[in-house]
Amino acid sequence: MAAWLVRRLVASIAIVFAVVTITFFVVHLAHGTPCGFDDRPLPPEVCKQLCRRFGCDQPLLVQYGKYLAALVHGDLGESIGLHRPVADALRDAIPNTFILALAALLVDFALGLALGIYQAVRAGRFGDVAVGNVALLINSMPVFWLGLVLLLVFAQWLRWFPAGGVTNPILCPRIDSPHCLLDFLWHLTLPALTLGLVAAASTARYQRAALLEVVRQDFVRTARAKGLPERRVLLVHALRNALLPIITLFGLAFPFLFTGAVLIETVFAWPGMGRLAVNAIFQRDYPVVTGAALLTSVMVVLGNLIADGLYAVADPRIRVRGEAGGREGSA
Amino acid sequence: MPTPRRPVGPTLAALAGCILAAGCERPVGCTGGYCGTMVIASGGEPDILLPPVSEFAITRDVTDQLFLKLADLGPSGNTIGDEDFQPQLAERWEWDAPTTLVFHLDPRARWQDGQPVTAADVAFTYDAYTDSLVNSSFRSSLRQIAAVTTRDSLTVVFRFRQRYPEMFYDAVYHLRILPAHLLREVPRDQWRSAAFGRAPVGDGPYRFIAWKAGESIELGADSTFFLGRPHLRRVIWRFTPDQQVAVTQLIAGDADAVEVLVSPDNVQRARADSQLATYPYKGSAYGYVGFNLATPGDTTRPHPLFGDRDVRRALVMATDRERLLRNVFGEFAKVPPGPLSQLWWIWDPEIRELPYDSGQAARLLTRTGWIDTDGDGIRDHEGRPLAFRLLLPTTSAIRRQYARLLQEQFRVAGVDVQLDEVDFSLYNERARAGRFDALLNVWNTDPTPSSGFPQTWTPAGFGRSNYGRYDNAEVDRLVDRAVASAANRDQARAAWRAAIETLNRDAPGIFLFATANVAAVHKRIADVTIRPDSWLALLRTWRIPADRLTDRDRVER
Repeated sequence: MAAWLVRRLVASIAIVFAVVTITFFVVHLAHGTPCGFDDRPLPPEVCKQLCRRFGCDQPLLVQYGKYLAALVHGDLGESIGLHRPVADALRDAIPNTFILALAALLVDFALGLALGIYQAVRAGRFGDVAVGNVALLINSMPVFWLGLVLLLVFAQWLRWFPAGGVTNPILCPRIDSPHCLLDFLWHLTLPALTLGLVAAASTARYQRAALLEVVRQDFVRTARAKGLPERRVLLVHALRNALLPIITLFGLAFPFLFTGAVLIETVFAWPGMGRLAVNAIFQRDYPVVTGAALLTSVMVVLGNLIADGLYAVADPRIRVRGEAGGREGSA
Repeated sequence: MPTPRRPVGPTLAALAGCILAAGCERPVGCTGGYCGTMVIASGGEPDILLPPVSEFAITRDVTDQLFLKLADLGPSGNTIGDEDFQPQLAERWEWDAPTTLVFHLDPRARWQDGQPVTAADVAFTYDAYTDSLVNSSFRSSLRQIAAVTTRDSLTVVFRFRQRYPEMFYDAVYHLRILPAHLLREVPRDQWRSAAFGRAPVGDGPYRFIAWKAGESIELGADSTFFLGRPHLRRVIWRFTPDQQVAVTQLIAGDADAVEVLVSPDNVQRARADSQLATYPYKGSAYGYVGFNLATPGDTTRPHPLFGDRDVRRALVMATDRERLLRNVFGEFAKVPPGPLSQLWWIWDPEIRELPYDSGQAARLLTRTGWIDTDGDGIRDHEGRPLAFRLLLPTTSAIRRQYARLLQEQFRVAGVDVQLDEVDFSLYNERARAGRFDALLNVWNTDPTPSSGFPQTWTPAGFGRSNYGRYDNAEVDRLVDRAVASAANRDQARAAWRAAIETLNRDAPGIFLFATANVAAVHKRIADVTIRPDSWLALLRTWRIPADRLTDRDRVER
């Protein structure tokens, strides 16, 4: 297990390094300068001086070397557009994106699993077909479009939910009371629902298929023959075995949720990594773009590591194989 | 014995109820005429709250509540002379000599940390704005000021290099006076990342309270402000990714005000909302198709197409600008009579310009040899089609709309236009480098043409904002007369008019629109006055009458 973990960690570091390198060169090689994002671009002499200060007048390889050297010391540099350390900007944005992704993940798996199980239990009947079609419809929608629709209906027309932001800036400038926590959840609901619904639609389809596959197997038939209640057969015996594909989905969900968050954060004015990165790309704020890519890749890699760990928890056979493999590797 | 299961439904329903009810107010306390809270939805966020080192309009909106100028523009918007300016930090001023201006500071003025505002602060501010280490983009606007010195703690003297009509404007409009005692120790080359810029201490009607990056900035009224206590107790900017999202927040009731409603559709939506009042005001932007008069990538040779004045004139006359404007802006813009924003005092619909005359345009093109010889609908000359590429940024919906309509109008005239839509950063780079045939550009202008116009339409702007490298000695002479030697406003106006008419005859561009803005503000807010060059300049006087206060206005924290 330890050898496996070390191998995965080394591979993860290599992936993150590759992402940082590619991002660094791509953003620097893109045309455009970080000199004004308005109908009043900076005067050329101001722009030149700014560029000198951030070293963007130096050869690209020199810049890359300096960036890596600083990165090793935990320094992500200073944002050109935000006039503050990149680490500070990311520190402000990460919790928002992380909470949004986590809430969406909750919606995704809670709803996806429930609907998948419901469909599998009622396979071929009206409920299954109806839920399946609705799931397909939602899955076909672009996430930002669904966001705009929910915003229009629930924020603008019905006014049940706020039209964006993280909290009410008058009542809750900080989340320092139960009331403000509820206010935060109130603001979180629409973006998380938007992101989670689209993901839940595909999770439900996977779950339905996986459960239908499992319920045909002998051990389920045996459980039923032993006279166990159907609920216990499905939720305890069958479901655990049908979870493996869902855990694969969990690993894949992180990249989806982070990329989805880019759009959703824009629609719902949610100040997270996505919005930060998009603004930085438009403004050619190289340090922020590279820093955001670094952090996103770390989170995605971590998500996959967690998914791999969960495999082992969900399926003892994998744990045993993994340990055997580890022993072989160390021998 | 089986454990009784707790019903999940009611718990979830209670939680959902709680979440939906989260908008319920906290205990309220404030009463009277100074309790209002206004939330402004903004399509952008300041980069730093330190005026010399930020170029964003939103930064100016916020910092104008924190830092005072010596004097400010009056309601007339007149930038010539000093008679229409209103005192702010300076209680009065006089001219010691034609090029020596003396300001007397108001002795009541205080920094919000209790220190008095002194002449040394003014001298320090001028020094900082003109210091190359600070690298302020306003430096060039102060180039005619030779020195700023102090006479005593409340008297400061400005000395100019020469006499000209807008000396006073230059002295006061760009300088927001800064606290020397708090900024003196900050190395000048680090001002762009100074901690002060994220928690500033000012001398204006509002004091800084909090800045949540990406979310909001909150200012609180300074109840001891020497020019009069602001009526709105709190002002909060909520940041959104763009102006359209800001408008959505306004319509949804999450904000009280937006600066511009952007599109005619949004204006209708705001007008249909019984809670909102709309306030039209003059816009500071104008948009145009700019022709590159030089060969892209080689400024020494004329452009193969637009080097010909007759071709440019024909294209201007082939463009039905009124129809384009109605399609895109409805009633919320005007066709400018030249490169002018509505904000400028020289705006004059009587300025002569080339008319829309498609017949005359066709005859002119035919006379210059551009004829459709192969019957493909596109004119050609010596085997070369009458075609060019139009550069525009993808980020501007207005310009994209215009580009498509222009493409169609030109097609009818036998001109093939291909669109180069690129992101804003690349657009800027290509525009500045002259790597385009024509571009669809927008300029946001200062209240006076004196700074922007020469940078955009004379050789002084080569390599800067004169992207198309337009150059006419007669225009330069007239602009110079208007800016530097006009004895009064009428003379300056006449010189400007002559310059613009000369430029119009040369047709260096097709001047498409000059925006008219419409702000929307919640109806409970009274005495809303908008100064077109800075929509929140008079925010201090906006108020919410006691009988219109909502719980949200009265809430205590």
